[in-house]
Amino acid sequence: MSLAAEVPPERRTIFAMGGGGFTMEPANPLLDDYVLSLARSPRPRLLFLPTASGDTTGQINAFYARFAGRPCEAQHLSLFRLAELRRPLAETVLDQDVVYAGGGSLRNLLALWRAHGLDELLVRAWRHGTVLAGLSAGAMCWFQGGVTRSDGAPAPLAGLGLLRGSLTVHADGEPERLPVWLAAVRAGELPGGWALDDGVGLLFRGERLARVVSSRPGAGGQRVDAIAGELVRRRLEPELLGAAATPAPLDDDVQELRRVQRLRARAPRRL
Amino acid sequence: MPASEPQILALGGGGFSMERENPMLDDYVLALASRERPRVCFLPTASGDADHYVVRFYRRFSATCAASHVSLFRRDQGTGGVEENIAQHLLAQDVIYVGGGNVVSMLGAWRAHGLDVVLQRAWARGIVLCGPSAGSLCWFAEALSAFHGSGRRVRGLGLLPYSNCVHYDAEPQRREQYRRLVGEGMRPGFAAEDGVGLHFRGTRLQRAVSSRPGARAYRVESGGDGTACETPLEVHYLGESGSVGDDLGVEDDLGVGDGQSVRDGQSVGDGAGVGAERSLSAGGPVSAAAEHSGMRQTATRAAA
Repeated sequence: MSLAAEVPPERRTIFAMGGGGFTMEPANPLLDDYVLSLARSPRPRLLFLPTASGDTTGQINAFYARFAGRPCEAQHLSLFRLAELRRPLAETVLDQDVVYAGGGSLRNLLALWRAHGLDELLVRAWRHGTVLAGLSAGAMCWFQGGVTRSDGAPAPLAGLGLLRGSLTVHADGEPERLPVWLAAVRAGELPGGWALDDGVGLLFRGERLARVVSSRPGAGGQRVDAIAGELVRRRLEPELLGAAATPAPLDDDVQELRRVQRLRARAPRRL
Repeated sequence: MPASEPQILALGGGGFSMERENPMLDDYVLALASRERPRVCFLPTASGDADHYVVRFYRRFSATCAASHVSLFRRDQGTGGVEENIAQHLLAQDVIYVGGGNVVSMLGAWRAHGLDVVLQRAWARGIVLCGPSAGSLCWFAEALSAFHGSGRRVRGLGLLPYSNCVHYDAEPQRREQYRRLVGEGMRPGFAAEDGVGLHFRGTRLQRAVSSRPGARAYRVESGGDGTACETPLEVHYLGESGSVGDDLGVEDDLGVGDGQSVRDGQSVGDGAGVGAERSLSAGGPVSAAAEHSGMRQTATRAAA
């Protein structure tokens, strides 16, 4: 195992996306290329964690479809199929330049990482200079808390807490999440933090927000804090990546899924 | 509500996911439910709620049972699984059938959703609990979860105050590691080969049954000097006497339901190196698909 030395706190890197990347933007590689550009190596070792989805083949295939032709050594890790691993878990995780966590259920992601001790390995990797990246559940997990739909209706949930503050995702694509998050921040159930649209990513160096980028024109986000019981909201202005590129619309399937979800969310059985 | 003493059928391997042509163990479970059309709920957690596994469950049980499943991964996506009040649903079953896969992942997810407590209550109420592989290990106080030689001692739900080892014949390393762990002080327990079901009433082993003639199970305890001592159990073959195991259903296509197949250990139609299945020795006895009986997924969504 070639574990590099710990890097100073200001060089520890996390890239958290509100949505986007290969699972949600198959025709738009801007965010994924940006993730690769953050690595310390020109040909980074890149590990995908599809844990939050239950390690779906679809996510795993989309990962390889995106990264197989790019300058990196791509590998995935399934906690449901550990027999596939050629090396022990710790060795596999600690030997990466980038770890990329997929979307799905935040509650399950955290439970499974903890059951296998992966949470501690990831913290170690981060301290040693591995870039932690992810979208949706795979983004909120790095913060003190987020909003999960693991149990159907959106609800606040604590994360690993590597970054101060909370995060909520898909602010445009799944609008039912945002009010739950705002209420939790106002009530002090979650610390203040960020709400991100699909396609928007936050780059943290250590605890400091260093950059806000986006893969789509018009996508944005906000920073929200509760001050004396009132919400103070500030708009984020993301830098559009690859400004020359044409915007890619959301995948049809994703759009349809969301329409269904919105209908379901409005159904009377919900609280 | 079933009013009977707690029952568990712990399979060393077998049942619908591993023995497609052999219904004996699943029929045995249904008979324990003592109801004409039993309510059977499938928990595919250990596979990451693999779609094809769920499909296979319904194919096997929906004709004769009131079949349902609970998914902990796709609760917001309308996959047909039970979504509202999972606890209430589980406690209204006659049988809870737990699928194979990774036992550590399964227990982690169960605990995060409070299912460990629910299953204990279900057991106490007399709802029959069963499952192969991870679906066996989970009921015991301790278990060996083994993957390619890296055996791991796992704390289960502890309904049965013993240790457990599965696939005892199919994976020699498991046997070796289990014997070593018991010799080193893991509590005594039971080891079962593929095709064997250990039927417990309360915490007492009632009988060992099998879907394959000659399949074995053992009581394993410390020999006192760092070694383990195996005592063979009497195993009752559920088939007609004299029948040969021609119909044992060697799985050569674990990827049922998603058009992918595995033959002779080669992953077919899957260029991305996601071949999850273990090598199946062609023509051999049903090779255990480890604790993960051919998990594959078709869904692809990123919804947190």
